[in-house]
Amino acid sequence: MRAMDILQTAQTNMLHAKLRSSLTVIAVFIGALTISLTNGVGNGVKSYVNKQLGNVGIKDTLIVQAKQDRGAAFTGDIKEYNPDKQVGQFNIILMSSTDSTKMKTFTGVKDVTPQLVVQVAYITAGDKKFEMTANQYVDGLNLELAAGQLLGSGSKDGILLPVAYVTPLGFASAGEAVGKKVTLGFTNALGKIVETEATVVGVQQKSLLSAGGVSISRTLAATINAQQGGAQPQMKDKYLAFTVTYDPSFSTKQVTALKKQFDAAGYKAQTIEDQLGTVNSIINSILIALNLFGAIALLAASFGIVNTLLMAVNERTREIGLMKALGAHRRNIFAIFALEAVGIGFWGALLGVLVSMGIGTAFSNYASSAFLKDFVGFKLLTFPLLPSVEIMLLIMGIAFVAGALPSLKASRLDPIDALRYE
Amino acid sequence: MENILELKEVSKIYFAGGEELAALKQVSLQVQKGESLAIIGKSGSGKSTLMHILATLDRPTSGELLLDGKPTSKLGQDDLDRLRNEKFGFVFQQFFVNPRDNCLDNVIMPLVIRGVAADKRKKLGLEILETVGLTDRIKNRANDLSGGQKQRLCIARALIANPSVIFADEPTGNLDSENGQLVIGLLFKLQKEQGITLIMVTHDHDLSAMCNRSIKIKDGQIVGGNQ
Repeated sequence: MRAMDILQTAQTNMLHAKLRSSLTVIAVFIGALTISLTNGVGNGVKSYVNKQLGNVGIKDTLIVQAKQDRGAAFTGDIKEYNPDKQVGQFNIILMSSTDSTKMKTFTGVKDVTPQLVVQVAYITAGDKKFEMTANQYVDGLNLELAAGQLLGSGSKDGILLPVAYVTPLGFASAGEAVGKKVTLGFTNALGKIVETEATVVGVQQKSLLSAGGVSISRTLAATINAQQGGAQPQMKDKYLAFTVTYDPSFSTKQVTALKKQFDAAGYKAQTIEDQLGTVNSIINSILIALNLFGAIALLAASFGIVNTLLMAVNERTREIGLMKALGAHRRNIFAIFALEAVGIGFWGALLGVLVSMGIGTAFSNYASSAFLKDFVGFKLLTFPLLPSVEIMLLIMGIAFVAGALPSLKASRLDPIDALRYE
Repeated sequence: MENILELKEVSKIYFAGGEELAALKQVSLQVQKGESLAIIGKSGSGKSTLMHILATLDRPTSGELLLDGKPTSKLGQDDLDRLRNEKFGFVFQQFFVNPRDNCLDNVIMPLVIRGVAADKRKKLGLEILETVGLTDRIKNRANDLSGGQKQRLCIARALIANPSVIFADEPTGNLDSENGQLVIGLLFKLQKEQGITLIMVTHDHDLSAMCNRSIKIKDGQIVGGNQ
């Protein structure tokens, strides 16, 4: 038989039992809808993360921290006191300039800058005071800006203000805020509140890289740190992290080797991509869990397909016998029924994918205008063509497997017995 | 005359419930090209088994079926399928039409299985339907036809494959005498005019008398007939 005729026969057979076929299609549709929606969320979130990642801007940079060991509270493993271990609050192991000197000797390392921990109590533009979290700006980090520009390495008292602060601080717009002076208040080592002035250099959009924190220049961070922890004898020359720049000509392989070198020396070195990669892997695990629901729906649907086809084989036993008597090969009969199963899978998957695109896009548009408003360019659900086609192929594959058993049964019928079947 | 089909000491044994049941016992038979042969016998005599083996729908337990002088026991299933499609036509007592398909689709079924192109098989199908007088029924569903029309449809379906042999299993069994006459007339006309070998299973003695030759089957053996 010609492939086209087999396909058409399968299609005709499916249409002959409209109600039965459409009920099974609905079962497949539910599974397809679930999986397609889940993947829509996955694609949306991941493409946003990747867009952010592509925009990071700083290359050839590692964030280095001391490797942390889990405390006895976690492991039940009591360790002997080590006076050389530099421990800060919450038993976090810290590093000092000894470490940075050591890092500078690693092959390919160009520069080592400490990441200072600063705690700012409030920010004000003269009227009300607002709480804030300060992060030391990593040179070159490409934050999305609503206005102004990024901090240069020479910036003295520059800060990047999150867009959410613009209105509370009394600025008419993001553009209005740029160039304005603000005051940061913090507690010094003696427990007293002191204030320092800063200049708004840029206003940043909300994004994954800076979810709400104010980025402050290195100089400003050093100023505040010197009066805070750095002033305390036990916290002098103690750092949570270093920013390490390495040879820009390094290949991926060389970077991996460099990271290993850090690892061997007791440090944990990550590129910004690595750090965002962690976000990706968390998203992935959530998606796998959600996909399980879709998988269960599809499992149920595939039993529906088996059932539907068994009924179809029974109904058409004499027709199968006739076809075989008239010279149809076993594989022809198998293909006719298997294709009917694939057809059910196809229509269910197509409907599921299309409906999920409709629902998902509508919801995504709503989300972008409501609770994700601040995350510019974040589409919660996206449906790129390739993954959607892959979902359809996967479901058609599952339908084929489900249809294989009844199809095999049909293909093995003896023509004489089949013709005698009442 | 050449033998189109030949059975050499063919036996067919079924195993049912631990017992052996010999449906055919050492049957030898020669069928000449272009003749009409009636196989008569009571139900359970083995006449249907004989026809099934001649038509390669069933394989003998022992013995050999020769087609055009060539043994068939070594042929694979695919070759037998192709052979049936190209050489044989079937007319059944119960018609076996696909009730939901129209007449044209029913008739061209052997050509669909053979893989003939759509336009060609449609053309052939229309011609054959004209031969059996069903031109005005082309688009009707097979289910809507009368018994006589259904059987003519089956003859058309057997004919379209341009077969060497037509096997007719009680072709008039479900028809009234008038329609029976019509169908029989058509079958013998094809045999005489187109030289198609006609092998007919029947217990109608009038019908078997119209054939060139008849054999009688009893308990799995040929016990006589009009040779």
